[in-house]
Amino acid sequence: MTQPKADLLQGTLDMLILKALSLGPLHGYGVIQRLRQLSDELLEVEQGSLYPAVYRLEQRGWISSKWGVTEAGRRAKFYTLTKSGTKQLTAEEESWDRLALAIAKVRKAV
Amino acid sequence: MEWFNILKARLRALFRRESVLRDIEEELRVHVEIETEANIERGMSSDEARAAALNSFGNLSRNTELGYDIRGAGWLETFWQDLRYGTRMLMKQPGFTLVAVLILALGIGANTAIFSMANALLLRSLPVPQPAELVTVGRGDGTGEPLSYPDFVALRERNGVLAGLAASHFAGVSFGNGARSEMMRGELVSSDYFDVLHLQPALGRGFLPEEERSAQPVVVLSHGLWQSRFGADPQIIGQTITLHRQRYTVIGVAPAGFNGMTGMFRTDLWLPLMMLPQVRPMFLTSLSNRHDQVFAAIGRLKPGISLAQAQTAIETINRGLELAAPPPVERRRDPNEDRSLKLAHPQGIGLPHYRRRAQLATTLLFVVVGIVLLIACANVANLLLARAAARRKEIAVRLALGASRLRLIRQLLTESALLGLLGACGGLLLAFWINRALMALKPPLPESWGFRLDLQLDATALGFTLLLALLVSLLFGLAPALATSKPDVVPALKDETGAESRRGRFRRFNLRNALVVTQLAVSLALLIAAGLFVRSLQQMQKVDLGFQTENRLALSFNLDQEGYDEAKGREFSHQLLERVRALPGVRAAALTNFLPLGFMGLAEPVVIDERATSPENPQFAAAQIIAPDYFRAIGTPLARGRDFSPQDSANAPAVAMVNETMARRFWPNEDPIGKRLRIGNPEFNPQPREIIGVVRDTVIGSIGEEPKDVTYRPLAQQHSQWLTLVVHTSGNPKALLIAVRREVQALDENLPAQEIKTLDEIVAFSFWPMRMGAELVGTFGLLGLLLASVGLYGVMSYAVAARTREIGVRMAIGAERRDVLRLIVGQGLVLALVGAGAGLVLAFAVTRVLRRFLFGIGATDPLTFIGVALLLTKVALLACWIPARRATKVDPLVALRYE
Repeated sequence: MTQPKADLLQGTLDMLILKALSLGPLHGYGVIQRLRQLSDELLEVEQGSLYPAVYRLEQRGWISSKWGVTEAGRRAKFYTLTKSGTKQLTAEEESWDRLALAIAKVRKAV
Repeated sequence: MEWFNILKARLRALFRRESVLRDIEEELRVHVEIETEANIERGMSSDEARAAALNSFGNLSRNTELGYDIRGAGWLETFWQDLRYGTRMLMKQPGFTLVAVLILALGIGANTAIFSMANALLLRSLPVPQPAELVTVGRGDGTGEPLSYPDFVALRERNGVLAGLAASHFAGVSFGNGARSEMMRGELVSSDYFDVLHLQPALGRGFLPEEERSAQPVVVLSHGLWQSRFGADPQIIGQTITLHRQRYTVIGVAPAGFNGMTGMFRTDLWLPLMMLPQVRPMFLTSLSNRHDQVFAAIGRLKPGISLAQAQTAIETINRGLELAAPPPVERRRDPNEDRSLKLAHPQGIGLPHYRRRAQLATTLLFVVVGIVLLIACANVANLLLARAAARRKEIAVRLALGASRLRLIRQLLTESALLGLLGACGGLLLAFWINRALMALKPPLPESWGFRLDLQLDATALGFTLLLALLVSLLFGLAPALATSKPDVVPALKDETGAESRRGRFRRFNLRNALVVTQLAVSLALLIAAGLFVRSLQQMQKVDLGFQTENRLALSFNLDQEGYDEAKGREFSHQLLERVRALPGVRAAALTNFLPLGFMGLAEPVVIDERATSPENPQFAAAQIIAPDYFRAIGTPLARGRDFSPQDSANAPAVAMVNETMARRFWPNEDPIGKRLRIGNPEFNPQPREIIGVVRDTVIGSIGEEPKDVTYRPLAQQHSQWLTLVVHTSGNPKALLIAVRREVQALDENLPAQEIKTLDEIVAFSFWPMRMGAELVGTFGLLGLLLASVGLYGVMSYAVAARTREIGVRMAIGAERRDVLRLIVGQGLVLALVGAGAGLVLAFAVTRVLRRFLFGIGATDPLTFIGVALLLTKVALLACWIPARRATKVDPLVALRYE
């Protein structure tokens, strides 16, 4: 946690959560952990922003939730990517890639 | 559909608030526990681990709330709270609620009723599948029927834009035989009529193509006729019925609810159009002559074709037809007549002429009921403001506890919306009743026209009412909500009513007074409009018609249609007159081809003294054909010369009479007696006639028209198969109804039983629009006045209640009751006078738009203005006097001890 953290662009969190869940169902803490691992500890998502984002995604129908049991035998609420969530993730990744490419091109032009 | 998912989730949360909250709390708690365990695994002590987990989480309850903001019902929940709270508040004051709902119901109900009228007259589409694809074909300004049969066939075959085109011609058909025969409304239609309309007959079949190739006596009955005349006989197909004395085979029954092509006039049966020459012998050439435009047409757009595209295509074909065979001059109503074809979606009344009138009338009525609704809104706003005073403490408490003003306004507006919706419910009940009354006011058209006005509260009307209720809620609720929620916490909590009396209660121009003044002004303007209609009706009834209507009966025949030839027709008219004249109680009886102010008329070209007339601009005059004694029977005095006599027979020299206007126009400063004229279509080279007499002018088409030129010919010299019998009786004409009908039946028992009407009843149709105006605008005007005076009464009662202490003091120091009365009435009278003054100015500015509806008076008729202003002032005085009297009953001791 001493490393400098990358700031999250507005709206990127949604995509990251969908991405994290695309690898398998997770509970809230699990999402944070997976994002941290995947980003080599660069991304630290705040719980205070995680849950509102997760709830919003659920209301839009992109993820679904279910109470289940963790490996340690603890009851927790697990989130799963839905079919329309998968579609949404693809769309967001594509638009992100386009944006990234565009920014890269602009920066190289200097 | 995302928003729909969200709405669904919110609605679900609304009813599971507790479980949603618990779910979030549980989830967050689990999160903290898992993180704590992870921290312990990383080597922290359990206390440290828990503290770190909690710390990383921030404010737990804040996070729960954040979660609930998303997962909860959100705005729906506040709305639900407001709704429950509002319902409680309304139930707490049932008196207030009842009065407000009643007032709103009156205003909304009137609007709903007028809307359902506009809906029926102007909006409703034909009750057939996919009505939006249907188009009617009209010519020029849309009056009259547009197409001849050859034109119709050409359009049907050559166009590429319509999936089908059907023709239709309306005709009265006598139905049955013997004493039971009567007139029915028939439509003579092309074979594809029911197919174009996408209608499946309820029984049997529609017409076949071969039934448009040759005349075949087959008939499709309307569902209504099948039920009323044939007891819904399932074996009806294949049976024969008698129509205009011919046998027809029933081939089908139209589906229920379908009443023909024009929504307003019922069709009883459909015949193939090839039967036209037999049903209407005067239309002998109508199936071959391209200038006999007797068919209306309705088509269905092909998928993907717009109205404009179809319009262009149809008009292109029409232009070709027009160029190939332009109509002869005498067939044109005027040389520059617009001959283009226009397409339109059929809605409401199909006939453009009536449609325009209906548009005008409904617009006027909408303005009127709109004003009534505004007055009602002002009343409710005033009630809400009065209640605001009573709720100051409650509002102040809520403000003090931290409710935002916006939240309070939302709460108050929800209450208004509740009131509005309750008012709409009441309004719907009322509209149902008003619709009944409106349907009873339908025009006094002949029964055989089959006019029907079907006012329903259908889905469109319900939608309109709901929308109106919400709109109105905002209108009457917003100002009181703003005023009520004004943060004014400290004095309200201290129960300082005195503070307000110092600041606002005696301010003359506060919101409540302004509302009352507006109400009075607007209702005065409305009443003046009503007064103008009443006065116009009076003026109209004073007009000299030029003939007498008392003690006169009239009865019409169409002998052509009954298969009479001229000889038989002459014999019939001769015998009929003889028989009727012999009846006791008959002073005079005569025949005419049409009656002034009747429903038909005939104008013919005239040539005066062989003066040259340009063929482009022929002279026309109304052309009555009458039997001797007509002028005596109808009570029109002779001005000069002599009347027709039995000696003016077919073999005698041809004679004519004219009215004074015609005499003056063509023979100014000359004696018209002995002059000559020809009457009739120049194509047929009519014989010259000698003028033997001049009669006084009568109205012909409508009351108040410019005097028209009228010619008269003797029936013996110019036979007509259209005949109206006029009977002048010595006593009550209704007493002779049966005797006259018996004489007709004795002559020909197969003549359909016609309605015999008194001339008074026939002429009543001419007064009908003005009478409707006077009755409807008058009723709504009085309703407006009632509401406005209730408003004034409310404000004055409130003022008296607020000034109880002051009045007590005044009386304690020696004021007489009279002084108190004057004080209160004076205050009210100021409001009334300001309102009346503003109303007069308003009326002066706006009644000029009524000019086209009025008759015989100006739009600023001083008598009406003064009379109505006086009426309003009187009613206003009464509305002030009741609370003022209450004020004089104040007991000074009680008043002073109060508080």
